[in-house]
Amino acid sequence: MNERQIVLEVNGKEYKLTVKPNELLINVLRERLGLMGTKYGCGVGECGACTVLMDGNPVLSCQMLALSASGSKITTIEGIAQNGRLHPLQEAFLDEGAVQCGFCTPGMILSAKALLDKKPNPTDMEIKEAIRGNICRCTGYINILRAIKTASLKLSERSR
Amino acid sequence: MSSSRIITQDFDYIKAVSLGEALESLAKDGARVFAGGTDLLNKIKTARDNPKLLVDITGIEELKGFSFSEGCLLIGAAVRLSFLEDEKVITERYPALHEAIKSLGSVQIRNMATLAGNLCNASPIADTAPPLMVYDAEVEISRLHNTRIEKRIISLKDFFTGPGQTVLQKGEMVTGVRVPEPMASSGAAFGKIARVTMDLAKVNCAVWLKREEAVVAEARIAVGGAAPVPVRVEKVEKALAGMRPSSKRISQAAALVGENLSPISDVRSTAKYRTDTASVLIRDTFFPAWKRSGGEEITDE
Ligand SMILES: Cc1cc2nc3c(=O)[nH]c(=O)nc-3n(C[C@H](O)[C@H](O)[C@H](O)COP(=O)(O)OP(=O)(O)OC[C@H]3O[C@@H](n4cnc5c(N)ncnc54)[C@H](O)[C@@H]3O)c2cc1C
Ligand code: FES
Ligand code: FES
Repeated sequence: MNERQIVLEVNGKEYKLTVKPNELLINVLRERLGLMGTKYGCGVGECGACTVLMDGNPVLSCQMLALSASGSKITTIEGIAQNGRLHPLQEAFLDEGAVQCGFCTPGMILSAKALLDKKPNPTDMEIKEAIRGNICRCTGYINILRAIKTASLKLSERSR
Repeated sequence: MSSSRIITQDFDYIKAVSLGEALESLAKDGARVFAGGTDLLNKIKTARDNPKLLVDITGIEELKGFSFSEGCLLIGAAVRLSFLEDEKVITERYPALHEAIKSLGSVQIRNMATLAGNLCNASPIADTAPPLMVYDAEVEISRLHNTRIEKRIISLKDFFTGPGQTVLQKGEMVTGVRVPEPMASSGAAFGKIARVTMDLAKVNCAVWLKREEAVVAEARIAVGGAAPVPVRVEKVEKALAGMRPSSKRISQAAALVGENLSPISDVRSTAKYRTDTASVLIRDTFFPAWKRSGGEEITDE
């Protein structure tokens, strides 16, 4: 059925894939590329567990056809550690106890990363707005908020 | 069978590169415009729609236009909400539209969704509909006639015909939204009541006021979620016109809203709740609109 070739750059690596029009980006990432860090939660856009960055902006991979993503740069949670070292957001989430079951964590961290990339020193309100589309059923958000602030401090110290 | 994990229906997909190509494809049976897909993919996943062909319009250069000139804001159908939410022209001159966009969904949804998609989906509770209605927005509709592209412009208030229904005919699509510049001494605001910020509103509204000295010269008020389509509530508009506002008089005028509504009861609210809330919401949204029109603070007398 009308398969097409797409080119995706995922975490800096280029992939040429043949996909069907009805294939969702989330399934291509998880099942074809084996990147299981992107989570499937609700499938209808409400929970944010499937968040990935597309050309730097958070989008929902459960609401995106693989064909529409063709030609873009995708970042998943597997792609943000550098040279074997966790990203400051990942470290801060661990240090601040912002991870319980961990199901929301990849999406949460990617939403936070997109925010910090644009706004290195966000206010509490800006952080809350940025993660409004990421639901956490465990932590109660307080530690997540703290972790994002800690990471923001760490990152701005580093760039000084 | 329906699923939210995989899409079980088969369809074809094209990423149109020109408006002509998109319109040609749209003339085919079962073709749908595919913009951000935030409404359409959920409809497909829940088997409420079964298209044969998705025509992705987000790559069409001529639909990515955004301009403000000669007293008119023009927003192309491929422009995403996240692009609009921080646009200075909108924040400064169309604050009610800015507020509606900011309140819509989440960062992720706004990175994908389009303004035209919000209107074309024609939900009675579409957040951008009330502000665009009170700003007297128009919708530009295009279709192919033989091989020529034909355009028609209609007022947004005549665009919706029922829940999920618009005046769009087969082969037609919205190519842009035009919003005239608000006149001097006018002001507008948007209000919304929802269960949680991520949920669709139960009721939303926009209030636009034209002020003359300490009096409301003209009022335009649109309410969503309380009738089959977003509606202008003329009873309230008439009651406000000529008024020197006080808290009490505003509440009295807003309480007339029920006469222009025909709400339903559903999972989000009962019909009575919607009518009562619409009245309170109009009252609350009046104050920032009045302030933005340059009006003095309103006191209880
Ligand atoms: C989790 C979640 C939260 C949401 N929250 C809100 C909210 O708070 N407020 C709100 O109002 N909405 C909300 N929505 C609904 C949706 O995101 C918006 O309506 C959005 O603006 C739709 O735009 P789109 O580009 O994604 O449209 P699509 O899904 O691509 O299209 C929607 C419909 O319009 C048609 N269409 C699109 N563009 C055109 C065009 N140019 N010409 C003709 N037809 C066209 C399509 O064929 C389809 O039928 C939410 C959705 C989700 C999933
Ligand atoms: S799985 Fe995509 S938003 Fe929930
Ligand atoms: S840690 Fe369990 S959902 Fe957030």
